[in-house]
Amino acid sequence: MAEQVMTPPGAMKTRERSSEVVLHLQNLTKKYGERLAVNNLSLDIHRGDIFGFLGPNGAGKTTTIRMLFGLITPTSGNVTILGKTMGTARAQVLPRVGALIETPALYLYMSGRDNLRAVAASLGGVPNARIDAVLDIVGLRGRQKDRVRTYSLGMKQRLGVAIALLQDPEILVLDEPANGLDPAGIVEIRDLMHNLSAEGKTVFISSHILSEVQQICTRVAIISEGKLVTETTIEELLKGEGKFRVQVENTQDALFLIKQETWGKDATLDEHNAIITYAPDNRGRDLNLFLVKAGFAPDSLTEATQDLEKIFLELTGSKGGEIK
Amino acid sequence: MSSVTLTTAEQARLHRAKPSFIGLVGGEIFKSTRMLSTWLTFALMLCFVAAPNIILLLIQVPFAENFKLGNNPKALDAFYNLLETDFLMLRVFIGFFLIFLTANVIGREYQLGTIRILLARGVGRLQLLLAKVSAVVLIGLITFLIWLLVLSGLMLLTPLVKSGNLNALQALNGDFWHNVELYLLTIFISMGATMLLTVAICAVGRSLALGLTVSALFFPIDNIAMAMMRIVFLITKNDFWKNITAYFLGPNLNQMASVAITTHNIENAGAPTLVDVDFNHTMLVTLVYAVIFVVVAIALTWRRDVKE
Repeated sequence: MAEQVMTPPGAMKTRERSSEVVLHLQNLTKKYGERLAVNNLSLDIHRGDIFGFLGPNGAGKTTTIRMLFGLITPTSGNVTILGKTMGTARAQVLPRVGALIETPALYLYMSGRDNLRAVAASLGGVPNARIDAVLDIVGLRGRQKDRVRTYSLGMKQRLGVAIALLQDPEILVLDEPANGLDPAGIVEIRDLMHNLSAEGKTVFISSHILSEVQQICTRVAIISEGKLVTETTIEELLKGEGKFRVQVENTQDALFLIKQETWGKDATLDEHNAIITYAPDNRGRDLNLFLVKAGFAPDSLTEATQDLEKIFLELTGSKGGEIK
Repeated sequence: MSSVTLTTAEQARLHRAKPSFIGLVGGEIFKSTRMLSTWLTFALMLCFVAAPNIILLLIQVPFAENFKLGNNPKALDAFYNLLETDFLMLRVFIGFFLIFLTANVIGREYQLGTIRILLARGVGRLQLLLAKVSAVVLIGLITFLIWLLVLSGLMLLTPLVKSGNLNALQALNGDFWHNVELYLLTIFISMGATMLLTVAICAVGRSLALGLTVSALFFPIDNIAMAMMRIVFLITKNDFWKNITAYFLGPNLNQMASVAITTHNIENAGAPTLVDVDFNHTMLVTLVYAVIFVVVAIALTWRRDVKE
């Protein structure tokens, strides 16, 4: 077995996005009585994307994922996977999609290896060598013979990922994959996602852990009350509104000076005592020149980015307690 | 965690893999055999089935003395006595075993949520249900054959122990073997009905506990309902209360063997219906129930969302 070189976190973000849409949701809707769990949701996920699907608890993330796999029948709308409509080509397409839906569902009375054997037997055509390989991938080879009921939540999560990887899927759909994992496990999951993406696989991650999504994903969609709020790249989402963040020695004096200018009257200080301001002609170098000439040579001058948590709360109208 | 690179051939092989019916049945059998409780139930139920015969070997009972008569009608009666006891135990406990097995194979999959692993890989809901039922049928048949072999061995051992030889076997005539076939047929029908009942209840409840409890209580409740109908009939003197029992599943199965076997008086295996019915009637009632169970199981499996 040859192990691939790890892709550095963030490397994927600079790679050009494939034009091939591998997962297409079109006006997907699920209604329970009068309540709309998922409301007219449309999304395109391209090959190689590490796509974050964000939303507060009860936003409709899991219902959407269950509709992807035909576990829940949509009230209306379509799902197309790898160019084929789910309604008619489910049996051809789904073997090429790996899934970890909600908490890992496992046969607790069997060993980790037997769980994989049971699923492999049902799916057909999965050799023992592949079972060894996925056990290696998720780092469970040493505990493969132990009953799953003795596993920690993190180990169960890893086994769930191993089951999802059994058939070397082209698309991997993971619902809250970092649940129960320790920090080292989370880093390993992140590396795995990047490696899979580098191999041309598409990863669709549903999560409410924003820091994880920010570090893993190339694109994100945020849903709230079943509706798509936004769908964009992480960079776009975090990008400020053309403002810059300046760190100088005499902050108050520099801020006073900037506020005298027409472009700088909205300047403010952030929680770290850095100035957040627009620049003359929206050009950072002009702002730098202005400050240097005024005797306030900046220690640093960067584009101001927004905090994902703040954006998320604004977009979803959530309470802080629902996210991490 | 690290990714592992596959060779093109390995990758192609994995990508070609599709869920197959045979594979699914194999998977279900694999899971069942990995359940310690399956083996424990198998062994415990076998003990119950074999217990009367083993006790008979150890104690003196008047009818067993007839085995010493060799080729004699009384020896034949003694064999019928053995047959009735053994097949009654076989019918009752294979039923319990099937309820346990079916509830585990279907109900537990929903209860653990593992059903979504299989369905999310493109396995059809009805394809999976049929595979599970097929696995239960296969395991049920193998269990039945093993238990039948054990019982047959014990039935042969009884005259040998009681009389010191097997001369009594000469008393077994063509009618006896024909009746054995009929009795076995009624046991198969009872097994099928019990399994389908549990399948339907698991499809409704989607839980191991519910599937196990309701299925195990169904027949006792059916028998208690018979007693209730009798009481209501005695109070009201209205034949309706007697006639309605002709359509109860349990009592029809209880007397199926006794109405099927006409050349020998076979005891009912439990409370019979309160009115006389014939073999065709018991078959028809069982068939109607079986169809209802199948329709309920298919409709609910096919149409209901999987939220487990």
